[in-house]
Amino acid sequence: MSTPSSLESLVEALRCLPGVGPKSAQRMAYALMQHDRTGALRLADSLRGALAAIRHCGRCNTFTEIELCERCASPKRDASLLCVVETPVDMNMMEQTHAYSGLYYVLMGRVSPLDGVGSRELQLERLLARASDGIVEEVIIATNFTNEGEATAHYLSEMLKTRSVRVSRIARGVPVGGELEYVDSGTLAQAFRERRTFAE
Amino acid sequence: MTQRHKVDGQPAFVLHAHPFRETSLIVEVFSRDYGRVALLARGARRPRSALRGLLLGFQPLELGWAGKGEVKTLIKAEWQGGQPLLTGKALFCGYYLNELLIHLLPREDAHERLFLIYAETLRHFSGVLQESDLRCFEKALLQELGYGLTLGHDAAGAALETGGDYAYEIERGPVRLSRRGSSGLSVSGKTLIDLARGDLGDPRSLAEAKQLMRSLIAHYTGGKELATRKIFMELQEL
Repeated sequence: MSTPSSLESLVEALRCLPGVGPKSAQRMAYALMQHDRTGALRLADSLRGALAAIRHCGRCNTFTEIELCERCASPKRDASLLCVVETPVDMNMMEQTHAYSGLYYVLMGRVSPLDGVGSRELQLERLLARASDGIVEEVIIATNFTNEGEATAHYLSEMLKTRSVRVSRIARGVPVGGELEYVDSGTLAQAFRERRTFAE
Repeated sequence: MTQRHKVDGQPAFVLHAHPFRETSLIVEVFSRDYGRVALLARGARRPRSALRGLLLGFQPLELGWAGKGEVKTLIKAEWQGGQPLLTGKALFCGYYLNELLIHLLPREDAHERLFLIYAETLRHFSGVLQESDLRCFEKALLQELGYGLTLGHDAAGAALETGGDYAYEIERGPVRLSRRGSSGLSVSGKTLIDLARGDLGDPRSLAEAKQLMRSLIAHYTGGKELATRKIFMELQEL
């Protein structure tokens, strides 16, 4: 017996999920159709709902259902500071620090020359417009400390250096509470190279 | 290679990495004795994986792997260190070298000399970035691949003249021109001699060598646009 075509197209559609290959996709499709048709309906509805409702915030580019996300609309935030992060998850991590009260810009990706991802793909002109609104005084680049994150940071700093904003990069080094004995050599070497003099 | 297809303590650099399944990575590496190899790094994307932050490009590593297929399994990775992470423009140039290696180097074809030059070039990059380092790497790469430039004499076998003008014909070599600028690939004899010596201190030699290398590389990559160059150009335009 051949597989019905709609089941086949469901299997094919499920493969778009990260980490889902043909085998897992087939298992998911059969499970939904055989054991959990209400679950399948819920999945379909929420997927449709999310697609219709979720968009990017006009200012920080994160996911939101309204024109301007709550954070950007809040009067309590310091609008002169703009922190640039790669993903919404990174933004949440920054928020958990309770150390930052400025605003954000979420790139939704990173510059990756070998994958052909550059300023065009990331729509960096939107960030440029955001940073040149006249209120932002400092742009804090909080991209990852990977090569791609560094490439992104360089790209952004080059792009912003002609604008009248201060551009800074978050520091890296030995973690808080870190004992040198247990720090990996790469981190320690970099921390050594980027050592700073004590202020007078 | 040993009977069990096991490699240990192999000096290597990561060229590129792709996510694979939920928590793994496929890493493209350039190793000293085995050339370009694809390795599966199991669990490398787990939050507490020891490989996290280790499989970074442009850093000297020592790797161990096993397997027979096209993609081997990474068993061990050790950080060798000794050079700062690349930043700024040098980082983009590093990506360019990696893209050249990925496009032009066949898998599992050992190029020890090229490996040493690659390592040396990256070491230079972490100091002061010199454009001539890029040209010398390109020259060495083509030479290693068997596409070496003819720089000792012209296509007819005559010695190159510093003041002479040449058209560089791919796979033939420099052809003496009676007058300048009649070919798209015209270079002066001095540029060819400088390139042969690896000394591109003269700005004109450097500029001409760049044009020459660009057209040669475009030829050998089948005219494919290099992503790293495109991204770098975009950066310049900003």
